[in-house]
Amino acid sequence: MFLTRSEYDRGVNTFSPEGRLFQVEYALEAIKLGSTAIGIETTDGVLLAVEKRVTSGLLVADSIEKILEIDHHLGCAMSGLTADSRTMIDHARVEAQNHHFTYDEKIPVESVTQAVCDLALRFGEGAEGEKSIMSRPFGVALLVAGCDERGGQLYLADPSGTYTRYKAKAIGAGSEGAQTELQEEYYDTITLAEAEALALKVLKQVMEEKLTADNIQVAAVTPSLGFHVYSQEKLQTVVDSL
Amino acid sequence: MDFAALAPSANSVMPSVHPTSQAKEAAFSPYEDHGGTNLAIAGADFCVIASDTRQSNGYHINTRFAPKTFKLTDKTVLTTAGCQPDCNMVATRVRQHIEWYKYTHNRSISTAAIAQMLSIMLYQKRFFPYYDFNILGGLDEEGRGAVYSYDSIGSMERVPCQCCGSASALIQPFLDNQVRNKNQKGKEEVTAFDPVAKLSLETTLKIVKDAFTSATERDIYTGDSLQIFIVTRDGVEEQRYPLKRD
Repeated sequence: MFLTRSEYDRGVNTFSPEGRLFQVEYALEAIKLGSTAIGIETTDGVLLAVEKRVTSGLLVADSIEKILEIDHHLGCAMSGLTADSRTMIDHARVEAQNHHFTYDEKIPVESVTQAVCDLALRFGEGAEGEKSIMSRPFGVALLVAGCDERGGQLYLADPSGTYTRYKAKAIGAGSEGAQTELQEEYYDTITLAEAEALALKVLKQVMEEKLTADNIQVAAVTPSLGFHVYSQEKLQTVVDSL
Repeated sequence: MDFAALAPSANSVMPSVHPTSQAKEAAFSPYEDHGGTNLAIAGADFCVIASDTRQSNGYHINTRFAPKTFKLTDKTVLTTAGCQPDCNMVATRVRQHIEWYKYTHNRSISTAAIAQMLSIMLYQKRFFPYYDFNILGGLDEEGRGAVYSYDSIGSMERVPCQCCGSASALIQPFLDNQVRNKNQKGKEEVTAFDPVAKLSLETTLKIVKDAFTSATERDIYTGDSLQIFIVTRDGVEEQRYPLKRD
């Protein structure tokens, strides 16, 4: 992609003469190395599904966590350098709690996504008065799912600090194939149960290993139950029904 | 007669110690009571917020028209009493935070959210509080009337009606009786579990006007004119009535 490397590769905050920030673009590439994550907005909530790369039989699959809770009504799935997501999710959780404390209401999904994106460009030397917290851009993208009074919403927050709302989105290594598949199969009246089947079908196609209840993680955010990760038993029944 | 000899000489009054080394009391009093009364009553689908407009300092009237009730949004009104600069500052800061909320979250703020925010803003000044007693009135998310009462350090409660300020001791028992049906035989009391008065808007306005005319008779800090804000689904309507100016 970037065959002609130049000195503009070095400074994290230096534009190339063509007007590009190479380090940010490389960060976007880092996400394409991560495991596949899928999010789908449905009529009765938002679904998140991720692939877990269980590379060895000795690896305890439960220790891989790629879907995390932000608040009762908010969750997120990630792909890329997952360690980078710690800072972002910590920040999102603090923002959510702060909002609840100050206004006695749930933070809107869009606001928490914006809060995460505010962090994304705080790398390099840092502007005047603002401390930079990272020496490089984040290498992770988040699919933020949540339910507020505007209903269920799914947002993608990427390392460039941009967020976009999607009806269905796939990120990670298998994202290209998965996104094409989602584009073909998605319809506006899709229910949560149908989305479970669709997400797993798509994951199955793009995963290198055989899909089992052990190497995927699924969670949903619904208005009634809030954020909840699917139990092993529930996951097994969904996998069996494929 | 030698008057010059009777006059105290400069030497005789000179203290033995230099004056600057003596203890001298220096009082800092940042608080002043400017009087005034306000109240709010929550109805089934409306809220009435009212205050007089007199601002006094002891026996002196500073001005006959100093509004201390502030329209915050299309469904929320804040009314304040106490030290006038403190009241203005609280209103200004609340309005500023409402603007920030709108820009951050791209929607208008609810009455309940303003209520919680105000409580926290007051408590943040716990050890140098605003000399300011607030009542927040408006419509909640279900469109019912909502009244939140505060003390000066942010303790908050949702109530059916509340009066604060210089004539609150005169008006509050009247409201308790007429709005909350307290001490009335055969009438159901309005409790904090369902903090909405079972009165029509017309009756509520009568109660408000009666309360202020009577309070004006007895309280020297209340009078001049009455501002009534009526919050309904259609927005906020302001009415003004004269009160006794004596």
